Amino acid sequence: MIKFDKICLSFDGKKIFSGLDLEIASGEKVVLSGRSGIGKSSLFGLVLGFIVPDSGSVFFDGVRVDEKSVWDVRKKAAFVDQDVSAGYGRLGDWFSSVSGFKANSDADFSDDRIFELMDRLDLKKDLLGKNVSELSGGERQRSALIVSLILKRKVFLLDEVTSALDKELKKKVAAMFFEDADLTVACVSHDPVWSESPNARMFDMEALEWKR
Amino acid sequence: METVDISIFSLGLVFLLLAVPVGMSVYYRLNMTGAMLFSVLRMSLQLFLIGIFLKYLFLWNNPFINAAWLIVMILVAVFSAIKGSSMKAKKVLVPIFISFSAATFLILLYINVFVIRLDMVFDARYLIVLGGMLLGNSLRGNIVGIDSFYRSIRKDSKRYLYSLSLGASHHEAYLPYLKESVQLALKPTVASMATMGIVALPGMMTGAILGGASPDVAIKYQIMIMIAILVSTILSVLLTIVLTLKVCFTGYGTLREDIFEK
Repeated sequence: MIKFDKICLSFDGKKIFSGLDLEIASGEKVVLSGRSGIGKSSLFGLVLGFIVPDSGSVFFDGVRVDEKSVWDVRKKAAFVDQDVSAGYGRLGDWFSSVSGFKANSDADFSDDRIFELMDRLDLKKDLLGKNVSELSGGERQRSALIVSLILKRKVFLLDEVTSALDKELKKKVAAMFFEDADLTVACVSHDPVWSESPNARMFDMEALEWKR
Repeated sequence: METVDISIFSLGLVFLLLAVPVGMSVYYRLNMTGAMLFSVLRMSLQLFLIGIFLKYLFLWNNPFINAAWLIVMILVAVFSAIKGSSMKAKKVLVPIFISFSAATFLILLYINVFVIRLDMVFDARYLIVLGGMLLGNSLRGNIVGIDSFYRSIRKDSKRYLYSLSLGASHHEAYLPYLKESVQLALKPTVASMATMGIVALPGMMTGAILGGASPDVAIKYQIMIMIAILVSTILSVLLTIVLTLKVCFTGYGTLREDIFEK
């Protein structure tokens, strides 16, 4: 599904990757581990074309990510990170602005669907009327997860999405993504709920090898 | 009715008024005497020279010279717009020049041909004077517009990239920033129109009345120039942003870092 092929990348003269090879198969659940600054988030940026490698290629669903194909990749992959920047207005307005993108015209942003997912993720309905800036980190992360689920993305790039959740919710969210056979998931997380899952494969970013 | 001329001696009496700010600056240690006198000197010299220059411009009244001078004015406006923004001149010079020229020429032609109905469209008195007013007034809006557009996308890059990751097209992703910047750029023009005539008598009207025009002619010109300024500002701000998009973004829809002055 996602393949990194001999990626070299450096920022301001600092080498992040020198010839990284990594392949994530369709339906696989991968936990990326390693100290901070090792390039876990850069990996997601590469897939979405926010970062362009100095050399090497990223393939998404068999297609090389470039200036043309990247716009399609962004319609298939969902990216949620630890402090999602979901705009300035009310949460409900943000949902409707996302549903207003032409590429999302088929997505089901009905109240019923939103309320159902909010309920599953333990969010209260009245949150929709609140300003995004008033939400807690955990509420924003779950709102972002709701959007990605409504958009029916099949590939998920999750960066510390459970860090602000309580224990029960961590389990619930991890199960939602790791127990759905249809989804391909790559995640960075210090929460053991992800790595403890029997479905998880572990990739060590420091040794650049599979641990499991 | 002729304007009363000011003799050189009388003009000297105006400079005597400068004793007031200089005295205050010294007494309150405002540390402004040097800068103030330098600016006064520069202004006087520049206006003195432009006075001689305009005299000949009006005398010759050659359409080609007039148009050439307007282009020089546009170039100066373009450079000050870029200098006032945080963008690199090399990257944005051509698109900004094109949008300033298009906006200024289009509006001037419309006014000179259809509104004032001049026999000679490139008449110096109308082309240069009105062109100068349009440029001078849309300049500030342009600086605010282009600067806030690119700077807010850079500052807000997480939110911007996040909307790209949610399937937004490039156009959909930058639209909120475009909206904000154009609103910001037009705000002062719109606000000053609403209080015009009550709070302040606009410069053009004052000039026309002192020049012997009757107030009802003066207000017609003032209404015309205010609408022209509004239209040329929005036109040049939007054109500037649209024409710089190609230079300032990558094919991936991300902002180029090398467009900003360090």
